[in-house]
Amino acid sequence: MIEFLQFLVPGILIGGVYALLASGLGLIFGVMRVVNFAQADFMMLAMYLSWAIFAGGVGLDPFLAAPLVFAAFFVGGMAVHWLFVRHVIGRRENHDAQVILTIGLGLIFQNLILIRYSSEPRVVAPSYANDGDFVGEIFISRVRLYAFLLSVVVAALLFLFLNRTRTGRAIRAASENWEAATYMGVDIGRTNLIAFGVGTALTAVGGSALVTFQSITPFVGLRFVVVMFAAVVLGGLGSVGGAFVGGVLIGIIQSVSQVWTSAAVKNVWVFGLFLLILYVRPNGLFGKVQRAI
Amino acid sequence: MRRLVPFAVLVGAVALLDGRLDGRFHVRVLTLAIVWALAGVAWNLMAKAGQISLGHSAFTGIGAYAFTMLLRSDADVSPWIGMAVGMGIAAFLALAVGLPTFRLKGFYFTLATISFPLILELLVAHNGDPELTVPFHPENEWRYMEFADAHTYVWIGLVMLVVALAISALIDVTSFGFALRAIRDNEVLARAVGIRTVAWKSAAFIISAALSAAMAVLWVKAVLRVTVAEEVFGITVVIVMLSVAFVGGVGRTWGPVVGAAFLIPLAMFLDDTIGESVPGAQELVYAAALVLVALLIPEGIVPAVERGWERLAGALFGSSPRGARVRGVLAPGPRPTPLLRIARRPPRRRIPSPPATPVLEVEGVAKSFGANQVLSDVTFRVQAGERLGLIGPNGAGKTTLFNIMTAHLRADAGRVLFKGVAIDRMRAPRRYELGISRTFQVPQGFHLMSPLDNVAVAAIGASVPHPMKASMAMLERVGLADLALAELSALTVAETKTLELARAMVSDPELLLLDEPLAGLNETERLRFFETVDDLVDPQTAIVVIEHSVRSLIRYVESVVALDEGRIIAEGPPEAVVSNPQVIKAYLGSKWMGHARDQ
Repeated sequence: MIEFLQFLVPGILIGGVYALLASGLGLIFGVMRVVNFAQADFMMLAMYLSWAIFAGGVGLDPFLAAPLVFAAFFVGGMAVHWLFVRHVIGRRENHDAQVILTIGLGLIFQNLILIRYSSEPRVVAPSYANDGDFVGEIFISRVRLYAFLLSVVVAALLFLFLNRTRTGRAIRAASENWEAATYMGVDIGRTNLIAFGVGTALTAVGGSALVTFQSITPFVGLRFVVVMFAAVVLGGLGSVGGAFVGGVLIGIIQSVSQVWTSAAVKNVWVFGLFLLILYVRPNGLFGKVQRAI
Repeated sequence: MRRLVPFAVLVGAVALLDGRLDGRFHVRVLTLAIVWALAGVAWNLMAKAGQISLGHSAFTGIGAYAFTMLLRSDADVSPWIGMAVGMGIAAFLALAVGLPTFRLKGFYFTLATISFPLILELLVAHNGDPELTVPFHPENEWRYMEFADAHTYVWIGLVMLVVALAISALIDVTSFGFALRAIRDNEVLARAVGIRTVAWKSAAFIISAALSAAMAVLWVKAVLRVTVAEEVFGITVVIVMLSVAFVGGVGRTWGPVVGAAFLIPLAMFLDDTIGESVPGAQELVYAAALVLVALLIPEGIVPAVERGWERLAGALFGSSPRGARVRGVLAPGPRPTPLLRIARRPPRRRIPSPPATPVLEVEGVAKSFGANQVLSDVTFRVQAGERLGLIGPNGAGKTTLFNIMTAHLRADAGRVLFKGVAIDRMRAPRRYELGISRTFQVPQGFHLMSPLDNVAVAAIGASVPHPMKASMAMLERVGLADLALAELSALTVAETKTLELARAMVSDPELLLLDEPLAGLNETERLRFFETVDDLVDPQTAIVVIEHSVRSLIRYVESVVALDEGRIIAEGPPEAVVSNPQVIKAYLGSKWMGHARDQ
């Protein structure tokens, strides 16, 4: 039992970060039906930005730099949307174009970073990086706890944004039924732009939360892309709340799997679960199963 | 003959290049261009059905590992046999991975394919060897596929590529290709006209996976020389496949050859010149190609060039009035899509007609969407040769009833019998084969196909003996022969409705379901429509018509069922039903009484 809890607690903590990473992907899919394969590379870019801020003279703690990262990627995400993504959304025929555009963008980010910073892993180690506290027999790492708390705070802010602001409600309306939303006077172009910015920024902050215990390489996104997709699908494609629940569940499963199998194959569980969910409950744990007869 | 020209050009070009190149690097570039063209052709088979796979590296990985492990084993298996084994495993795995997603609409296939190579790579790297050297056997060139002369790999690759292209080209001109194009275009309609979408998608995926596994053997033997999990299972495999296929033309047989001819030399020469200082140069070429294609020519170079050529020829030689296609010497106008018939099983699988059994029996059918009860306890029958009208206000459940009959929806309760046989558990293509055809309230079509091909898909779905001839004959009967090769979007509403009818009738149905066939037609067209129907149907065919134009309807049908809020409120002879006070109150309105008196 205690062994189980020793894996469960870190699973919940990392799951909070996955939730944050996945919420951005879920928001973007929900509003504009774009499966953004470059999302994990936004996370990678955010990790490099956190690293640059921390190691590059300013020395600002990545948790404190999170608002800066959010702002930078909100603007950056809107720029990517305006320059590229908005040209391939809307029509059904654009599905293929969306897939290859976002894959291509992700690859460009990876290789530009590779050219600039090489593939040498970068580490952000604040003074408390190895600290932690025992609660009973369970060790709780300080950086992971902070990462979880950061995720909870951002989740709360996102909830307020989506429910209490005009723009947030427009985003929710658009993700429910964008056609009806346009009839109600929602400016869909502007909503898409802001949703893409917010979605990018959410995942980016997830990157800043990760950076204190995950070394950074240009290809670090590949390790998280399926985790993010699994969380989003588990919670139901397009649902931000679902993506949060999905993220936490994925964190727990990934961590608790180590009770039975080695840490090296913990992602086999995640990928396998992802496949299983797609097969048996393609609309997520809470979604309705719709099958063509 | 015309289709063999590109093959000759390809072989000629490779022969020419191969004769002139002698530097190791140049031969390597040529070999890799062929290897990736082969991979792209394999990947593109799935894209013909509109399915984007991001998991083909699972199959290259399996192909590479299977042959390497067999060669390293005590049995000392030849790579040729190893290739065959790898192809078999890949094909089996493709079926296992693909099948569960092939019944789902949307992104699910693409998403499911992502995780598959990742699982395999992790398992191989953790439980097996992340890197396997391929034993060196110079003593027997052919047995071990170990050629001292690098040019030999070029020729082996060329043979494999030509075989893959021939398979792909053959698919294009058979009912297989029609089915895949129909699925890509409009999957729901494809199922409604008898295309067994799951079976065709599975077949394409199996062939695609097997060819990918074969390609991996050549790739390892000719270029890599060592099997590394990270490489053969790696995402780069998928990236290159995507790039060459999308740049050349997604789903097009010759697309990947064109794409590879552009991209592979470009990427490799960049890597050769600046690769030292710019480590990601190759990947940037592929990435930039993907982004540019997505934004500028999403359909790829081959279709774009074809269209450009048609336009140019159109400008030079004058274009046909409709369809914006060209008739001329250089671009000899639209031609029918070739369809190669392969002799197969005897076609028809109809139910024998027992005497005095109704063609259609609907018994206590109920359906709700959430809290919304759309149909409750609907029961009626239609006899052979009978024409039945289905009327009721919007939302009464009429189209839902059709959708239940044709397996687009499943009823919550009750059953549907066709000629005495319960069909509730049969899928849409099977019901169509049995002889149930329909048209749609919002006309459906395969928009990337000509009207002729639209009908031909339905003929293929019904296993009509000579689908092309039968489809053309059908178009002649309904008066659309002149538009057989036009663009679908160039048709008027009346022509579109007539095409829907032609598509529904080509299978020679025993039950014809018409969903608001008169909507959008003027008075003359309305009269002509039912005349066309009568001209086409067999006297034994039962017809059910949903129609809001009640005056036209009651002149045509022999009985009417009136629905309101999912319940039958009246049924019987047309005059009796339309003068029923409940029907007037719920649907026709008091104005109707005025009209009726005037007549």
